[in-house]
Amino acid sequence: MEHAVEVREVSKMFKLYHENVRSLKEKVLFFRKRGYEEFWALRDIDLDVEKGETLGIIGANGSGKSTLLKCMTRIIYPTSGKIMTDGSIAALLELGAGFQPDLTGRENVYLNASILGFSRKEVDGKFDEIVAFAELERFIDNYVRNYSSGMYIRLGFAVAISVDPEILIVDEVLAVGDEAFQRKCLDKIDEFRDSGKTIIFVTHNVDVTREICDRVIMLEEGRIVRDGIPKEVVNHYHQVMETEEEASEQGNRKIEITEVRLLNDRGEETNDFYTGSSMKVRVCYEAREPIVDPVFGFSLDDYRGFTAFGTNTALKGLEMGTVAGDGVVEFDLKSLPMLEGRYLVSVAAHSRDEQTVYHWQDKLYQFEMKSDIDDVGLLYIPCEVKTGPQAG
Amino acid sequence: MIERLKDLWAHRELLWNMTVKELKVKYKRSVLGFAWSFMTPLVMLLVFSIVFSILARGGDVQWYAVFLMSGLLPWLFFVNSLMQSVGSIVANPGLVKKVYFPREILPIAAVGANIFHFVLQMLVFFVFMLLIRWHFSPWLLLMPFILILQVVLTLGLALLVSAANVYLRDVQHFVEVALTALFWLSPIVYPVGLVASQFPKFMPLYLVNPMTNIVLLWEYAIYNPHHYGPQVAYISFWGILITVVFSIVTLVGGYYVFARIERGFAEQI
Ligand SMILES: Nc1ncnc2c1ncn2[C@@H]1O[C@H](COP(=O)(O)OP(=O)(O)O)[C@@H](O)[C@H]1O
Ligand SMILES: [Mg+2]
Repeated sequence: MEHAVEVREVSKMFKLYHENVRSLKEKVLFFRKRGYEEFWALRDIDLDVEKGETLGIIGANGSGKSTLLKCMTRIIYPTSGKIMTDGSIAALLELGAGFQPDLTGRENVYLNASILGFSRKEVDGKFDEIVAFAELERFIDNYVRNYSSGMYIRLGFAVAISVDPEILIVDEVLAVGDEAFQRKCLDKIDEFRDSGKTIIFVTHNVDVTREICDRVIMLEEGRIVRDGIPKEVVNHYHQVMETEEEASEQGNRKIEITEVRLLNDRGEETNDFYTGSSMKVRVCYEAREPIVDPVFGFSLDDYRGFTAFGTNTALKGLEMGTVAGDGVVEFDLKSLPMLEGRYLVSVAAHSRDEQTVYHWQDKLYQFEMKSDIDDVGLLYIPCEVKTGPQAG
Repeated sequence: MIERLKDLWAHRELLWNMTVKELKVKYKRSVLGFAWSFMTPLVMLLVFSIVFSILARGGDVQWYAVFLMSGLLPWLFFVNSLMQSVGSIVANPGLVKKVYFPREILPIAAVGANIFHFVLQMLVFFVFMLLIRWHFSPWLLLMPFILILQVVLTLGLALLVSAANVYLRDVQHFVEVALTALFWLSPIVYPVGLVASQFPKFMPLYLVNPMTNIVLLWEYAIYNPHHYGPQVAYISFWGILITVVFSIVTLVGGYYVFARIERGFAEQI
């Protein structure tokens, strides 16, 4: 086979039963009447995954991502169409699936590994590595029932990742676990990728796919609506999801933020900014009643929730006095140091003691940093390189 | 079918681990542990010995304890295997919905764990017989064959009922009821001669039941018919032939049905 996975015109229909018709009496009663509705979770999916490719699958909740992965791993079977795979598969659809609470960590490692198709001998050789990766040296002989969910997750991932399959299929399992461990898992997946393995990867954190995927497809209601390089597909995803994601608002609205505009060098409203360019955050508000000494602020966060920058009128030593009616606050960022990535903008109006929130728009706006600079990292730091013979 | 068997073979280590898991988990948090697996047969022995001695006015069957055990232990093996396997798939949604592996491993492991219990119980039983200086007959050598025959039948039924139970939870209850009835319809508590003498007309029908034949074989092999006469445990050529054919057909058919409907398991449970 030329490809690692070939999906041909795959559709999957689920029967949604009106009630759980599971006993003989009901089966007989409903024999003629159809007790279910058809629901098509996948429709006409055609997909070739190259050997050695890292493919990301993104899409809203319920768009069929997990269903597609389950079809690939033969947990469920498509209603029509065909799926062919070439090479051994390890699937991580749920961390620690099949862990037995009444067995110890050690016993579970062996059991879980054999579920993934691993022999005892193979595990023996990797046991210490697995335990070290999961950071469970001290607890490995305890019952899994006494593990915290974090420990559970670490052990599950460590076992699954230690299997050496040709195709690794991962569904959203990285959403759980602390950040440090997520990082560790991503590094491990990176390692996998570098060794030429095929990876199929579903994540909610779509920006992660930009980091590690060669190609991304986006599903919408069971169809592939985008297929291409990560950046473009992810951008499309954000456009579709724009307002839904993470954004929230709160406050008593005595001051209402009526409009927020992101303006570029030329004063045009845009969502694309370039490293080194300037940006104006223009916040228009309306005070419903006279408010004494309010504070206006904003912050820029990256997709990980890391705040790149934030400030407010109080920090800048400004006194707004009493505001009433319409007004504008403009934050003028002279030069944006960030390299490529997507940033979310939060804007807020609150009292000086921060006890009263008038209006807080959390991550409601976003923009894209673009750059033609080749350097890597979060920020651009002007850097000159000098070379010469070693001095001394 | 060949593909399936290959896949099963490739997962033999998982099958082994699941079997061991069944055993470990079952007695993990109990003080007496494995001793419990001897409780049921012992209590039944006590009760039936008393009841039977009252009903039969203490005579007909000599060494009733040995007679009862030689049929009861295999029967309990049969019942426990089926009762555990019938729910084995619906009881493991976490596995079935989230990982791929040959699903037949679940019912097979349930039977496997019970083979272990059975062999253990038999060993204890044989130690007891050695202590009372039991006269073993050469028919004892038949035991491996009988065990294989019973395992074939049990596996076939286990595959069938565990798969059917995914779609129709009634199966679980049906199996329970059917097994209770079959227990009294098999010559375990009473000797087969009782049926032969009291209801001679029903004998052909009575002997159709494959478990009757298997129980008779066990009794024949262990209970030493030459001392106590064929009315206690008799075997017929036709009975054995029917049972062998029936068991093989059940295994092949059960596996076939299992393979046919196994694809829907993850969605159904
Ligand atoms: N076993 C099932 N029975 C009925 N509907 C299902 C089943 N599994 C998934 N679905 C439905 O199929 C759709 C796609 O689900 P899923 O693939 O899990 O989405 P995603 O992983 O993209 O969030 C959802 O609407 C879900 O409710
Ligand atoms: Mg999902």
